[in-house]
Amino acid sequence: MMPDVCATDIAIIGAGPAGMAAAVRLAKVGHRPVVFDMNATPGGQIYRQLSELQVSEAVMGKDYARGRELIDAFQRADIDYRPGTRVWWADNDALGTSLGVLEKGQTQHWQARQLILAGGAMERGWPFRGWQLPGVMNAGAAQILLKQGALVPATPPVLAGTGPLLYLLAWQYLRAGIPPSLILDTAPATRYGEVVRQSRRAWFARSYLFKGARMIGALKRAGVPIHQGITTLEAQGDKAVESIGYRHRGQWKTHSTELLLTHFGVTPEPQLARSLGLTHHWHASQQSFVPQRDDTLAVGANLWIAGDGGGIGGAINAEREGQLAALAVLDKIGQGDPEWQRERHALLKARRRDLEARSLLESMFRLPEAWLDDQPEETLVCRCESVSRGELDRAIAQGGAGPNQLKAFTRCGMGPCQGRQCGESVTRLLARRLGWTPEAVGYYHIRPPVHSITLGELATKE
Amino acid sequence: MPVRHVQIWLDGTPHQVPETLTVAAAVLQLRGWQGYRRHVDGSPRAPLCMMGVCQECLITIDGRANRQGCLEPVAEGMRIERQGGSVHDA
Repeated sequence: MMPDVCATDIAIIGAGPAGMAAAVRLAKVGHRPVVFDMNATPGGQIYRQLSELQVSEAVMGKDYARGRELIDAFQRADIDYRPGTRVWWADNDALGTSLGVLEKGQTQHWQARQLILAGGAMERGWPFRGWQLPGVMNAGAAQILLKQGALVPATPPVLAGTGPLLYLLAWQYLRAGIPPSLILDTAPATRYGEVVRQSRRAWFARSYLFKGARMIGALKRAGVPIHQGITTLEAQGDKAVESIGYRHRGQWKTHSTELLLTHFGVTPEPQLARSLGLTHHWHASQQSFVPQRDDTLAVGANLWIAGDGGGIGGAINAEREGQLAALAVLDKIGQGDPEWQRERHALLKARRRDLEARSLLESMFRLPEAWLDDQPEETLVCRCESVSRGELDRAIAQGGAGPNQLKAFTRCGMGPCQGRQCGESVTRLLARRLGWTPEAVGYYHIRPPVHSITLGELATKE
Repeated sequence: MPVRHVQIWLDGTPHQVPETLTVAAAVLQLRGWQGYRRHVDGSPRAPLCMMGVCQECLITIDGRANRQGCLEPVAEGMRIERQGGSVHDA
């Protein structure tokens, strides 16, 4: 039996920088938005645990502490904040969006006239041999452990992959007194040429670049070896990681470690946007699909996407997008104020500059397109259903010409993560094999429930 | 920074852990990455993402199987059991 409908004028999904900033801006003019958050405390992934800080700013760095102000404003404002909730179903029409929400083991049916999706990003699933072994973990996951309670590895980890987060975590471990034993970067050493080639963007990106240079400098001074241009990576071991193998300058090398932390960039968390049937395009520079938004961040008549869920722009940009979406909502419901034009222009201008800077970072930390080609047959692409690269290639050879066909042929993407970890890889592999663009290949059809929900939870009325 | 501890039971044994941890973080802190979970295909697995995406942290909490350990904070008296492969992850 479906419970009674709870109604709200404005709902926001997610309480990271975008969701918090949108809620605070709306509360400022007297609205009381409902904010659904999967986590137990506000802050999203970037400012996780900042509301009950567990590790010093000296370790985490200034960017983390910066979120404090926004969290304070969010906690002070009159907002209907609902932590520990999961929106598992959404359906949008001219009247608004219907939401299936799971809270404390019970399902609720919500109707929101205006909805801002601020679900953020996730770390990209990036297959390599042995990545399913215990002891392989995402760098972002290791950082979450650090934020939750200064949980640090017992032995020095190896960090591998590419992107700013890889070096940030390495620096944070260094500050915490456990420097990584090795950093393996898949980006070529020539990437610094991009800074010269894209000097205008480099100027906009100067604070990121200086910060990165300072961190890399500190790591090098501490004697942490950094190898660039890594073309292959594998985790080796029986029940858990014992060592890793990698190819550097054409030479195969091994290194003993119990913990391999990898990072291959972040990508919009696609599930709700996909299940709503929103149009997506392949973003060549971000190397991922992003939902199509207009200048006001709208993706529908009463639906907006703010923050990294709409394309990766980082925490500060997400905060601006949250404010922009809030202003767009107010315009939509006839409560806009001409005096806000200046605020909007300033936000849009800052956003343009930040996204320009971002595109330089994207070219510096570009992921190798041919990575999957160089992987052995047995590399798992879908961890949930244990589907290997070889099985997918056999299905393609048998005529599997799209992600949904491969799903039906192999069960790839049919496990509990619902394709979040393998979806992009399947698109990439098909694009390489068929000689199509990722855009032409497309992505899995995503249908609700977008979170696992038990029959008991579905049947329990609030 | 002092932090309050709560008592949890992991596979029947009591432990004191900081209340700021999620279930997955607590299990990793107490037991390390080895032996977190056995997958349906028989292979050993452990949490990958810690942010509710990968479902590698599935664990039994207070008798309910297949909970996402990375999303649920620990609580006083909570009973946690690692899944040895008899529980299907679907």
